[in-house]
Amino acid sequence: MPNEHARAEPLLRVSALTKKYGDSKALDGVDFSLEAGEFLTLLGPSGSGKTTTLMSIAGFVQPTSGDITHRGKSITRTLPEDRGFGMVFQGYALFPHMTVEQNVKFPLSIRGLPAGEISRRAESALERVQLKAYARRHPRQLSGGQQQRVALARALVYEPEILLLDEPLSALDRKLRGDLQWELRNLNKESATSFLYVTHDQEEALSMSDRIAIFNQGKIVQIGTPSFLYEHPANLFVAEFLGKSNVLDARILGPDEENIAIDYEGGVISIPRSQVATSATGAVSLIVRPHKLRMRPPGHGKLAAKVQAISYVGNAVHHLVRTAAGAPAIIEQVADSALYNPVQGSDVSLHFDVDAITVLEARGDCRKRLAATTDPSPTAKDGK
Amino acid sequence: MIITPSFWFRAVVVIAIMVMVYLFLPALIVIPISFTDRYYLSLPAKTLSFAHYAALVTNPMWRDSFLQSAMVSSVSTLLALTLGSAAAIGAWKMGTRLKSVVRMMALMPLIVPTIVGALAYYRLYIHLGLLDTFTGVIITHVVAATPFVFISVSAALGNFDERLEHAARSMGARPLHVLARITLPCIRPGLISGAIFAFIVSWDELVVLLFVTTRNVYLLPRAMWDGINDNVDPTIACVATLMILITLVCLCTERWLAHRNGN
Amino acid sequence: MPRISLPLALAAPAVILIGAMFCLPVLQILALSFTEPRIGLENYVALATDPLYLHIIATTLRICAWTTLVAVVLGYVVAYVMANVTDRIRGWMMIFLLVPFWLSVLVRAFAWSFLLTRNGFVNATLMTLGIISQPLHLLYTETGVIIGMIHYMLPYAVLPMLTTMVGIDKSLVVAARSLGAGPVRTFLRVWLPLSLPGVMAAIVLVFIMSLGFFITPALLGGGKTVMIAQYIQFGISETMNWGVAAAFATALLVAVMLSLVLASRTMRIKNLFGAT
Repeated sequence: MPNEHARAEPLLRVSALTKKYGDSKALDGVDFSLEAGEFLTLLGPSGSGKTTTLMSIAGFVQPTSGDITHRGKSITRTLPEDRGFGMVFQGYALFPHMTVEQNVKFPLSIRGLPAGEISRRAESALERVQLKAYARRHPRQLSGGQQQRVALARALVYEPEILLLDEPLSALDRKLRGDLQWELRNLNKESATSFLYVTHDQEEALSMSDRIAIFNQGKIVQIGTPSFLYEHPANLFVAEFLGKSNVLDARILGPDEENIAIDYEGGVISIPRSQVATSATGAVSLIVRPHKLRMRPPGHGKLAAKVQAISYVGNAVHHLVRTAAGAPAIIEQVADSALYNPVQGSDVSLHFDVDAITVLEARGDCRKRLAATTDPSPTAKDGK
Repeated sequence: MIITPSFWFRAVVVIAIMVMVYLFLPALIVIPISFTDRYYLSLPAKTLSFAHYAALVTNPMWRDSFLQSAMVSSVSTLLALTLGSAAAIGAWKMGTRLKSVVRMMALMPLIVPTIVGALAYYRLYIHLGLLDTFTGVIITHVVAATPFVFISVSAALGNFDERLEHAARSMGARPLHVLARITLPCIRPGLISGAIFAFIVSWDELVVLLFVTTRNVYLLPRAMWDGINDNVDPTIACVATLMILITLVCLCTERWLAHRNGN
Repeated sequence: MPRISLPLALAAPAVILIGAMFCLPVLQILALSFTEPRIGLENYVALATDPLYLHIIATTLRICAWTTLVAVVLGYVVAYVMANVTDRIRGWMMIFLLVPFWLSVLVRAFAWSFLLTRNGFVNATLMTLGIISQPLHLLYTETGVIIGMIHYMLPYAVLPMLTTMVGIDKSLVVAARSLGAGPVRTFLRVWLPLSLPGVMAAIVLVFIMSLGFFITPALLGGGKTVMIAQYIQFGISETMNWGVAAAFATALLVAVMLSLVLASRTMRIKNLFGAT
């Protein structure tokens, strides 16, 4: 029945989106969907394809192949001005020759609404971002944060179903960014608009999103809620991009009932299959988050190491250590805690619970992996 | 930063000043000539006379040529402004390959020596029957002025963020609407600069005129040329003085506008 | 109905007008040089052999060479000073440079025709200063033409060099001086090499403009000093020798194009035309 299908259909669906520039692929088969009211972040390093994806959805980039549907209807060939999405840019893109008020009224005047209605809606949009008093000013008279709020008001005043945001906060300083992140999240939850947000800042993504799609080299490598991605990274890229990870080289020895035996610097360890996220059979990586790694006096833990440096980051303390084989690791502890706090140069022993481990593919490319399978000892120089 | 001027620098400054005097002053000689109390080209002997300025208005040759020039230059400027800005905006939106083709075409009239162009027009107009017509002259002026508009507007577009256009389109504005309400207002300084330079170029043009006009179309530079070759009437000094004034006004306006827009 | 791309629609009118009313006719002139009065190279042969034509070419090249040399040297001095003063002074100097730049070439040539007469301003000054005892014959001579052309070309020489010089990192000069180099050596070893791209641009620009020059040589040369452009006009209006006129025009065009190609090897053409 049509109604059943409409309910199951997401607000926006991107299928097999590919974009080639000559021989290079900016997008290589991107698939995801966006639900109504959702805050979805496209996260990845520069050049990973997240902005190209956003621009394709906006209509300013024509994909080489693939489809974009809005409420089940394909919009891949639709002109940008007909798609009805809102858009916010890194440089705010406020029209310099118009006042703040005129900027916000612009999209309404295009839609041919009566003048009274336009004024009313513009006023309430500016109120929502607490800038009603600045209506008569010009953009250049406002600070960066204020300009960004005007840009938001302008993009939301005609109540689009989807708001596309292209790294809107990257030009602002850290404190301001934090405040605006809260505002963005509230705007999303208070309105019915879905937010599709592009950023390379993983902390930003973790704090604001309902779901995150992680991009690398034109593909989505994992998509899920922030906590899921953090706890269960699907591959090494995600583990190292999202939050910090400690990576220890290891080798799979063989299955051991429901567990897998893994040989690493600290000996042999038996890990439940559910924590192994790679199909590799030889060299692998053990991933432990810094706050799940503990330090104990020498001999009382699994792995010997030496403290190289200590840094305080306000609310936490980071110990940078090096294992006997030369692998670096970071231990994060909440400051003022009663946990063990060795000084620089001390010998320690690292400890972690088995359920803190994720097993992922080994570092380096395929060729190096093949070489590792012939050479039994994992070499420390296999770094990126 | 300025380092303490050495002797050499001071010497060089002196030379530079002399050069600039050589550059700037000579043209000013026409001003006293225009006030001469004699009836031939000379400096004023006893008193200053405005008689020759009066001749500008009373003598139909000068008056009509001035009016014709004003008309031709105004029309040419408007047309060159339209064509040149459209081409600059079009080129700005294009990919690299197409953009350089358009740019090369738009700058052709600057690259080709004027005399070659004049010859080409002469032959073309013989075939088209456009010799000594206003249409013919206006076409040559538009072609000559368009490159200046193109350069000026392209420069303004260099400072225009195309994301402003994206923002407008994302809100539902049609391309022509975006052009009219967003792009053109933002590049207005470039449009005005271009128009001023186009006007000056059209107003001063002579070489092509010598080839494509004779009697019917008699513009101010032509009148001056004939006057100089006859080498008698001081009225030409008045025209020259006025041309200095007009150039000065145009330039100062352009600089003032550029300064006001924070150039 | 297929949508015509907006960029193409915007650029089309100008491109079509210039293409049809300018480029095509110019190409026709090129063709004419090979077809009038007979098909073949006889016009170019004449250019290369007829003593009159050779004299015109030699005169043109000589005048252009002198004009370029003096304009670039003097222009270098002006540009150097302008690049090394405060922004405010440079602004004022710019006005003194731009006013003559935009002033009609007719006005300027007319002014010179008055100044260069036997009892004109120039001779009077030189005699007062005691440099000469007899008035020089300047008007209607090659020297007079060169003086007038240098006057026209100076801003065209200064602007590209100024653009380059303003972009030179001044701290390099400070560094050289701090290392012990005197002002002259610093100039020769640091500033001069860095300013060369601008100098090249200036040389090319002034030279190609001088080649096709008409008004100043016509007014100040008085029929005795004849350059190519004047002969082209003479050829059309008096002798109706279209073939030779077209050949001269083509030669001029080719010379200009060649110079531009040479220049584009050493620096970007955009700087030449964006130098205002």
